[in-house]
Amino acid sequence: MNSRFLLSALAVTLAATRLCAQPSGVASQPSHVVSGLKVVALPGKSPLVTIRLVFTTGAAFEPADKAGIASLTAQLLSNGGTKTQTYKQINDALYPMATGIQGYSDKEMTTFVGQTHVDNLEKFYAIMRDMVLNPGWRAEDFTRVKDDQLNALRVSLRGNNDEELGKEELYNLIYAGHPYGHENLGAGSVLEKMTVADLQAFYRAHYTQANLIIGIAGGYPPGFAARVKKDFAALPVGKADSFALPKPTGLTHNQVTIIQKDTRSVAWSLGFPLDHKRGDPDFPALLLASSWLGQHRESGGRLYLRMRELRGLNYGDYAYIEYFPSGMFQFEPDPNLARHQQIFQIWLRPVEQPDAVFALRLAMFELTNLVEKGIAPNDFERTRSFLSKYINILTKTKSAELGYAIDSQYYRMGDYNTYLKTALAKLTPDDVNRVIKKYLHADRLQIVGIAKNASELAAALTSGASSPKKYNSDKPQDILSEDKLVEAWPLGLKPEDVKIVPVATVFEN
Amino acid sequence: MRLRPCLVILAFLLAASQAFAAGKIFPYAYNQEDLPNGLRLITIPTDFPNIVSLYIVVGTGSRNEVEPGKTGYAHLFEHLMFRGTAEYPPEKYTSTLKSAGAASNAFTTSDFTAYHTTFSKEDLPVMLSMEADRFQHLDYPEADFKTETLAVLGEYNKNSANPAQKVYETLRATGFTSHTYSHTTMGFLKDIQAMPDAYQYGREFFNRYYRPEYTTIIVAGDIDPKRVRALIDERWGNWKRGNFKAQVPAEPPQDAARRAHIDWPSETLPLMTVAWRGPAYSDDTMDTVALDAISRLGFDQNSPLYQKLVVDEQKVDSLFAGPPNNVDPEFFGVNVRVKDAKDLASIEEQIKATARSFADTPVDPKKLEVLKQHLRYEFALGLDNSESIAATVAQFVALKRTPESMNRYYDMSLKLTPADIQRVAKQVLIDKNLDVVTLTGPAKGAAK
Repeated sequence: MNSRFLLSALAVTLAATRLCAQPSGVASQPSHVVSGLKVVALPGKSPLVTIRLVFTTGAAFEPADKAGIASLTAQLLSNGGTKTQTYKQINDALYPMATGIQGYSDKEMTTFVGQTHVDNLEKFYAIMRDMVLNPGWRAEDFTRVKDDQLNALRVSLRGNNDEELGKEELYNLIYAGHPYGHENLGAGSVLEKMTVADLQAFYRAHYTQANLIIGIAGGYPPGFAARVKKDFAALPVGKADSFALPKPTGLTHNQVTIIQKDTRSVAWSLGFPLDHKRGDPDFPALLLASSWLGQHRESGGRLYLRMRELRGLNYGDYAYIEYFPSGMFQFEPDPNLARHQQIFQIWLRPVEQPDAVFALRLAMFELTNLVEKGIAPNDFERTRSFLSKYINILTKTKSAELGYAIDSQYYRMGDYNTYLKTALAKLTPDDVNRVIKKYLHADRLQIVGIAKNASELAAALTSGASSPKKYNSDKPQDILSEDKLVEAWPLGLKPEDVKIVPVATVFEN
Repeated sequence: MRLRPCLVILAFLLAASQAFAAGKIFPYAYNQEDLPNGLRLITIPTDFPNIVSLYIVVGTGSRNEVEPGKTGYAHLFEHLMFRGTAEYPPEKYTSTLKSAGAASNAFTTSDFTAYHTTFSKEDLPVMLSMEADRFQHLDYPEADFKTETLAVLGEYNKNSANPAQKVYETLRATGFTSHTYSHTTMGFLKDIQAMPDAYQYGREFFNRYYRPEYTTIIVAGDIDPKRVRALIDERWGNWKRGNFKAQVPAEPPQDAARRAHIDWPSETLPLMTVAWRGPAYSDDTMDTVALDAISRLGFDQNSPLYQKLVVDEQKVDSLFAGPPNNVDPEFFGVNVRVKDAKDLASIEEQIKATARSFADTPVDPKKLEVLKQHLRYEFALGLDNSESIAATVAQFVALKRTPESMNRYYDMSLKLTPADIQRVAKQVLIDKNLDVVTLTGPAKGAAK
């Protein structure tokens, strides 16, 4: 019953994740062409071919008054006609091949991805090429796609998905006043005024050879990669979008935004900026720490154990050091969402209203323990073992392998699997605990909640009153003793630190 | 580690192993074997290196929840299966999975519950051993049972923000009065809230269905089928067969169209499902393949109705349909998200008219040929790694307990004629089978 558009317009389509090719059986190294267009090629024996066209541009490079234009441009190209074919003609042509082309845009990357059986490669590629090189810019396509994006923003994200709403708004608040500080899908009032001419100007400025990384994987014929490269040389050479992003500014104390909405339970997201990315020296240690605290959708994380398994507070609790949108729909992250700056994030799945303050306190308690006590040697070993093998699962398809290889090219690092395995093998518990102390903290948190009784919740957060947890079963003494600490855990919030925002105003300006 | 006595292994004669030739839609040769206790094993060596994907399919879902007030238990059990055994308490189970770098999860549907784990090939013995232990020796205290029911409530809560979930729940309750498909896999909220007091019933549910005759193990990837069989014999051979059969009440035929409406409290676009009560999944008649074809020819992205409503008039931003794919008769449903509530009635009529057109006029044979080509490539594109292969097989195993159903189904698809489609449309897509559910949000400006 999921709306297909809901998923695609969140810029992280399930379809895109599933559009994958068979591994060749041999680990292939990406071949990088240094001069001219960048090409990442992963040839293999599979009958499937994946093409990823990644422009290293996105929401971070949008003009100040055009929030959402990168995403809207990608959507119009991938869901509109070309100069020679209408959208209907494209759909008719793709249908027998049982495939499609997805476009999505993040802060620094805009991606077009498609997969085809090699039988259909020529026809498929001709459509994909024209979508990107020769867009049709038809008014009727623009009206439809703009409407879709507005509905994705206001209805699918803001109206129908409390968890993604909280997670997205957390990023926007943490990076307020920074090029990352707005929703990828844009702002409602801004999108309404956007024109085809605006999109064309963005396209001309950013869809350039300098920004393009071409990725091809699977059983494509000899000469194909060279032909693609030659075709895309038709783009203007341009200049690569700059990465000179300002340093993120953190908070001086905890702050809470409660989005008031008529909803059954309370969803929390919390975190702070993290100016450390894949390829940087302490990334593997940070990855290990966040995996231990809350590996995405796995039952092995500390938060999951203490919050869900032992206390039955909710459906799950996780931690991240890289952007992972649509986590409620997928187990593995999409590639090509590379960012030079990230956040450290904790995602608490919705809790019953009476448990809302206790759950938040427990997450802060666990984060404090991590920062102060670090990770024990046996937990370190298990988590290291997990990550060293789990990386194979993340890159189990040729399409994912290609996506990771493109990201590695962008981050100017080697093969991600090799990098991570090598770095993990050298890590010690002391390294990880040093890195935890250096980068993580349990104060100065930006906190976002989605709740119905926002004023009541705000009062509970700022009153300093204890928030005991009641259980439906007997609990061991150690849990009850710990609860005594947690229920009174200082939140460090004064009334002026908690802001209530009506849901209808979110993502509007 | 639990190693089964060798005597038991010796008692097992290898069941006839069927190796199916390539050339059918499913390109991998597989082995299907039955142990004497009724457990079925399907092994699928693939050409993807190093990785193994394990799917354990148990033939119980919300369909099997026959007692009033006890909905949602198949799904609750999916959760409880992670609550441990004497040999593998939850923390040991989790830490073993973690050391293996395994991706592990589970899901429940109306008809089945699936436990899936993907890992490196060297960890296969420990994975099969650990799974055998929890399927045969699950043991948890009542307090853990009660805590886990709250995690299920948490799952209900996270779903509750999505109005599409409410439409589906209402469609089930409207269309079914006797059959257990009247409730969703999550179950009714009041039953979820009452779960903490049903510890004994929970044990009973496990004893009924977590039995070898209900279970099929699928192992796909970089494997040696003989070695897998030996491991299965060793670890799963002692599992005792049960004797429970659920008496699932048959749903009487619907005698008139039904409808329901939901007022949703927060901002949303109107949703509508127009559904017809259809047949059960079939791989030996044209029923399911014909309805599958109608769902695609009538409502896919290149269909005339999609082009009209989504692309030209732009009154709808999401339109898709699906055939009934269940053990018992379920819905052929068309789902739509509409931009303005005033268009709901007209769009409902157009959906019904599209459905009627399949009964009135044979489809263009050329369009049917294009669809058949689409189906072949769709299938090929889906089998891109061992996990997706195991997952695809699991869907068919859940319905007919054999991957061969997949080959039979696609074989039927390729033989489908315009006359078949017309005949099935005339039988199924008629007014008295119709169930319509609409959902609208508050009037503009009224949202709180």
